[in-house]
Amino acid sequence: MLLPPNGSADELQRLRAALGLDQPLLQQFLIWLKNLLHGNAGLSIRSGEEVSTLILSALPVTLQLVTLAILIGAGAGFISGVLAFRYRFTPVRNSLEVTNAMALSVPEFLWGILLMLVFGIGLRVSPFFGEVDPRLMVEQQTGFLLIDTLLSGNPAAFLNVLSHYLLPSLALALAIAPTLMRILYSSLNQIYASEYMRSARLRGLPERRLLLVHALRNAVLPALNLMSVQAGMLIGGTLLIEKIYGLQGIGSLMIDAINNQDLPVIQAVALVYAICVLMINQATEWLQHVLDPRAGV
Amino acid sequence: MTISISMNGISTTLRRAGWRLLLGGGIYITLFIVALLAPQLAPHAADTQHLEQTLLPPFWMDGGHTDYLLGTDVLGRDILSQLIYGARVTAIVVVLAPLGAALTGSCLGLMAGYLRGWTEKVIMTLVEIWMAFPSVVLAMLLMVALMPGFTSVILAIILVDWTRFCRVIRGEVITWRDRDFVKAARLSGASHLSVMVSDLLPVVRPTLMVLITLEMATAIMAESILSFVGMSVGPDTPSWGAMIARSLNTVFSAPWQLVPPMAAIVITIFAAMMLGTGLRFSRREQTATGDEVLV
Repeated sequence: MLLPPNGSADELQRLRAALGLDQPLLQQFLIWLKNLLHGNAGLSIRSGEEVSTLILSALPVTLQLVTLAILIGAGAGFISGVLAFRYRFTPVRNSLEVTNAMALSVPEFLWGILLMLVFGIGLRVSPFFGEVDPRLMVEQQTGFLLIDTLLSGNPAAFLNVLSHYLLPSLALALAIAPTLMRILYSSLNQIYASEYMRSARLRGLPERRLLLVHALRNAVLPALNLMSVQAGMLIGGTLLIEKIYGLQGIGSLMIDAINNQDLPVIQAVALVYAICVLMINQATEWLQHVLDPRAGV
Repeated sequence: MTISISMNGISTTLRRAGWRLLLGGGIYITLFIVALLAPQLAPHAADTQHLEQTLLPPFWMDGGHTDYLLGTDVLGRDILSQLIYGARVTAIVVVLAPLGAALTGSCLGLMAGYLRGWTEKVIMTLVEIWMAFPSVVLAMLLMVALMPGFTSVILAIILVDWTRFCRVIRGEVITWRDRDFVKAARLSGASHLSVMVSDLLPVVRPTLMVLITLEMATAIMAESILSFVGMSVGPDTPSWGAMIARSLNTVFSAPWQLVPPMAAIVITIFAAMMLGTGLRFSRREQTATGDEVLV
């Protein structure tokens, strides 16, 4: 693949030696592992660039996307869950329930396309390609465009970047919000049946305080648990969303690498994904521990 | 508790679960019929190009043609026919992938939950490593390793999703394994294998059924994602995800092309969820384990 079709056997041999493919498989893996520990993930077969540079330049995009998606998704799921429970005897609950079921049956990459169709192409209210308007120049400092624009004191550019991220992160958020709402609703339901809620009510506490302080604190725990399960889904979702919205994150990197059979890049990106998932899992576990010391570590 | 569902059981299930099961089941029966009869139903062959009639809108819009009810794509291929042939891929995936994942996952889950000890440790460590990779990423990695093709798509989905079955079934088995009926079976001389197969498997069957319906939805999503990025079946086999990817290229001139394949995917996923909810409601009165399967 890297050689012209008329390459000689000699050239092939030399290339194999250069790529280390003449070593036994286990040794190849160990060499890769050793280099990786030294921060060297190898060179991209396709472009010859350092894989770590490629990843480092792409990672901020994905991280910003994931952060925004979690913020929007958790916020929406949380609020709609509480609202649905608060107004559980009114039509509000049913309408939220129906929206929920609908949101659940649309995979996130379809949400991405739908949102792009409606708001980007149909109503033309939101940009839907790339990270920032090509006309705006932003100095690179951290690589996180959202932070960079703020640091350089450029609110217009910040809003521009934010609006570029809005649709893709909304699409991802729509994938996590519905399940979150369901879990929250059902755990609130369980908690309201418990003894301590009854005694709190007997003490004459107002309904609002009952819900927001006493019940919610305990209801959040299963929801948090779910978040860690969904972390993988969310991060996996960025892959397609980035591709659809032309964001140059590690998802686009991965898809391009797969299409080019660029193995060093594929390996490294897969590893980064695994690390991201593990980190989110750790974070939710830690949060759970903070909120409920009983849970233990 | 017997493995076979008696006729009586089916009718009471239907009565109780009502419209959800009927709706979901109905949609799937339609899907299978369409997939089976694709050559008879489709007005055109899926890959016939009509290069003088490209990007036609659906027939009710201006410039549409009743020969191409849902319009044509950029190569002048009939969208309705592609949709009908694409149902074949979905129909096969939706049956084989969940069954394979259920088989692998619940075997390992039963073993882990019942045998405990080092068997459980090995299996659950494997599950944890597996779950560190986002499923989409893992599926794509597997597709790279397996070479593109229809069998590898199904295999990839199975290899990615068995962990869900394994985790849930193990959890359920752990709550049952110390019950008296298991001890009684052991005392009366049943082997470990026989206890797992004929005592524990029937107990977890309801959960397994719900998981399988959820997995149907996941399998459809996974296949559409893989074919969307061009890693599923080859370009000569029509599939819904690939249709979406292709129509994105011409989204400005012909946005309506996106609607049929997207609707098809959403409807089949919705139907799988209806089956799942229906099953869960129908067994709510039978078991007290409730909704923990919502993973």
